Amino acid sequence: MSAESHPAPARPGAAALSPLRDFLQRLRRETYRAGPHVPLPASPTHLLREVAPAENLVSRFQTSAAMVGCRVHRVRRDEWLATVRGILRERSARTVLVEPHAETALTAERAAQLSEALEAEGVATSAQCVDESLFAADASVTGVISALAETGTLVCVSSAASARGASLIPPVHIALVSSSQLVADLFDFFERLGAWAELPANVNLITGPSKTADIEGVLVTGVHGPGEVHIVLTAD
Amino acid sequence: MEVALFATCLTDTFYPRVGQAVVRLLRHFGCRVCFPDGQTCCGQPAYNSGFHAEAAALLHRMTRVFAPYACVVTPSASCAAMVKHHGPPLLADNPPAHEAALRLADKTWEFNTFLRDQLNVDVAGLLRFEEPVTFHYPCHARELYSPADLQGWLRGNGHDVRTPVHADLCCGFGGVFAVEFPEVSGAMLDDKLTELAATGATLVICNEAACALQMMGGARRRGLPLRFKHLAECLAESLGLLEPAA
Amino acid sequence: MNPTSGLRARLAEAHRDQRVVDAVHLATWRKVEARADAMAGLRHYAALRDRAAQIRQHTLDHLPQYLEQFVERATALGATVHFAANADAACATVCDIAVSRGLKLAVKSKSMTTEEVHLNDALLAAGVRVVETDLGEFIVQIDRDRPSHIITPIIHKDRRQVARAMARELGCPYTEDPAEMTRIARQHLRDIFRRCDLGITGANFAVAETGTLCLVTNEGNGRMTVTRPRVHVALVGIEKIIPRLIDLPVILKLLARSSTGQPLGAYTTLITGPRREGDVDGPEELHIVLLDNGRSRILSGPFREVLRCVRCGACLNACPVYRNVGGHAYNSVYPGPIGSVLSPLLYGRPAEELPRASSLCGLCYQVCPVKIDIPRLLVQLRTATRARQPRGKRLLMRAWAWAMDRPWLYRLAQRLMRRLLPDDGTGWINRDNHLFRRPLRAWTAQRDLLRPPPQSFRELWKGGLGDER
Ligand code: SF4
Repeated sequence: MSAESHPAPARPGAAALSPLRDFLQRLRRETYRAGPHVPLPASPTHLLREVAPAENLVSRFQTSAAMVGCRVHRVRRDEWLATVRGILRERSARTVLVEPHAETALTAERAAQLSEALEAEGVATSAQCVDESLFAADASVTGVISALAETGTLVCVSSAASARGASLIPPVHIALVSSSQLVADLFDFFERLGAWAELPANVNLITGPSKTADIEGVLVTGVHGPGEVHIVLTAD
Repeated sequence: MEVALFATCLTDTFYPRVGQAVVRLLRHFGCRVCFPDGQTCCGQPAYNSGFHAEAAALLHRMTRVFAPYACVVTPSASCAAMVKHHGPPLLADNPPAHEAALRLADKTWEFNTFLRDQLNVDVAGLLRFEEPVTFHYPCHARELYSPADLQGWLRGNGHDVRTPVHADLCCGFGGVFAVEFPEVSGAMLDDKLTELAATGATLVICNEAACALQMMGGARRRGLPLRFKHLAECLAESLGLLEPAA
Repeated sequence: MNPTSGLRARLAEAHRDQRVVDAVHLATWRKVEARADAMAGLRHYAALRDRAAQIRQHTLDHLPQYLEQFVERATALGATVHFAANADAACATVCDIAVSRGLKLAVKSKSMTTEEVHLNDALLAAGVRVVETDLGEFIVQIDRDRPSHIITPIIHKDRRQVARAMARELGCPYTEDPAEMTRIARQHLRDIFRRCDLGITGANFAVAETGTLCLVTNEGNGRMTVTRPRVHVALVGIEKIIPRLIDLPVILKLLARSSTGQPLGAYTTLITGPRREGDVDGPEELHIVLLDNGRSRILSGPFREVLRCVRCGACLNACPVYRNVGGHAYNSVYPGPIGSVLSPLLYGRPAEELPRASSLCGLCYQVCPVKIDIPRLLVQLRTATRARQPRGKRLLMRAWAWAMDRPWLYRLAQRLMRRLLPDDGTGWINRDNHLFRRPLRAWTAQRDLLRPPPQSFRELWKGGLGDER
């Protein structure tokens, strides 16, 4: 195989696209002579869903999240701070990334509260998801934009306030979830996502800690992502 | 009811006792049994090997042999699946033959499902086993009945039916495959026999002559104390229609 | 090893490697059971499977317009979409992106398309270092091995082999503990992730409606790969399209369950364009290379259905042939049942024997989340190569069919067989007592042969059974 054998254009725009246009034209002409487009019938989602909207989402979420290896801390609204501090203390975290996001349960106000409390204990905190702080952090604390009862999944998105790396790079991820953020089924979540005016560049459905079973099928957590995912679930 | 027996070439040649059991059972349950002498093979080996013209010719011949009968019964799951499912498309470009093949597909029954669905026989209630049994589920029965169906037929009268760990594991026969890739076929056979032997049962119910050839020969070679019987043989023995096998 | 001939010998040789066979048995049985448990816990498994198959088939049946829609959306979002007609073009495109931007260190998330086009070799030749970051692929890479499973690349290795490779290549202390080995790999790769400038992935799906790529991973390396480097290149087969966002959950509900028994992969990542203005992190450039490489040819033929495949690996795990030979014996990037269909379609002659190496037991179809009728496709592929079957086999098949068309000849053959087969009174023919060593050896090497009893069924029938009451 030779890297020089094909002068493929790498510039964006028409130059890169013209071979594709040609290809599509040829495909249409040679393979898809067929006439009008028959649209895909709508998904009968009500017949396919796993979790009914009326189900008790909190307990369902708790079970599902535990099943995929998350540690769920179901606490009262006013206990979240103590719970997060407890988790961090138990892990002797020295540097913690605290990432506030207005549309999540970790508001700027709560983040400030947490950072203050941690700093008072001598724990370094940062809200800056720049490289070194990310790789140096012992843990991260973030909110989520949604959580799925069906699978115990947390949803984090990229934005100006939230980094892709925040829920990924530090070895321990603590997510604040409020019960109002729970959606029943994957179908519900994707329906909502479809209603967004514009999707974020990066949407992550996080279902349990990072894991592998590549070596002899033995389950190991914490390969590249966090080995521990804590969910601090508050009711409201 | 008049029933034409499609014995299949392997049962005819290697397992005449199975045919005998089927005939006596069908009569016992009130059928008149015919055996059209012109029958040979349904063409399955040719079909599976990709020799479809040959398979089509043999299937076409089947449609003629069985044309006079309203109902065809066979003790082989794979031959039933061939006639019912894989065969007809082979004759698609010959409309009259295709029609005939579809008619044959429609009126052909695998023996066990015929007892259940046409004669309403409660097999589980009639069977008698003196020993623990296990079973082999023939892969080609999949379009006809499930492993659970098979278990249902065996379970009854408090029988000790031992399900192998993977009830739907292939025996490794696969027609020409068995002689084209004997080492792999033999390895699959090892896996299968290991699971059967691990059940501790010594009698294996196997409703498929091809699988039986493979597994009996394999068990004998490996010195495993496994005996194999078609469900029809067991049922005929239970009803006193067949002398218990030695 | 000669790829064009001797499949039987190749499979037999592979089966003789007891260590591989044991490892593959252990792993595949485990996955078969995990899958079965997961599906049993799914309320509407059958309906979901029907729907998933329908979605995938519909997309293939209308691919040009969905591709166009995808390209339009992705481009509008700032991604650059390329087209690669074949492996060379794909490699050239990716190399060009790297070289023209001076990118030097590429991290790769597990991707079958990049394996298919042998992208690593091409990048290396272009002066770009590529590091595989999926644990299994990483070990394959440092051990200069080949993957043997589309989901679990080192399914053929035991922990000692992994331990030796890691100690030798990374200079780390020898350990056989999977957790410890994983930690060492993590440390090693963290350093790479800090420095890399190019991220290469495939995509599990590409959503036409939104121009979104969907990536499903478990380790987090996929996320790292689309987070850390400046440039992200995704090499995506043209068949990976699905129409709408709402079609994704149907397939996602089945994918990880089929692969590993998980309800979802640990990370399902939806990538819609490159990093946005103001985003904290993420790649500045996103290049999507749409790969044909034989797919349009498959689309136009009778095997279109095979392109529904979502590469879950369930058919490999279920396959009793794969279990006994492992993945290398297939001599293809795509092993197992799906490989036995796909490889001959992609590579032609060198892989054309593969469809014959199956007992057609049908478990692959049984477990396939998109209902690809693999056994039927295998049989269909066998018809395509009948003319190139060994002459002896062709003659025998024709002679057999000819005889079966003549009942008198069939009966005569039955009788002759009984006369000619050796009879030592046991009713069996084994390795020692048969006269026709050669023709029967393929059978008697593995099992004894039942001797046909003295009377065939039709003789019993004539001899009285027919007249019984
Ligand atoms: S053919 Fe079906 S079972 Fe096999 S990998 Fe593809 S989707 Fe999975």
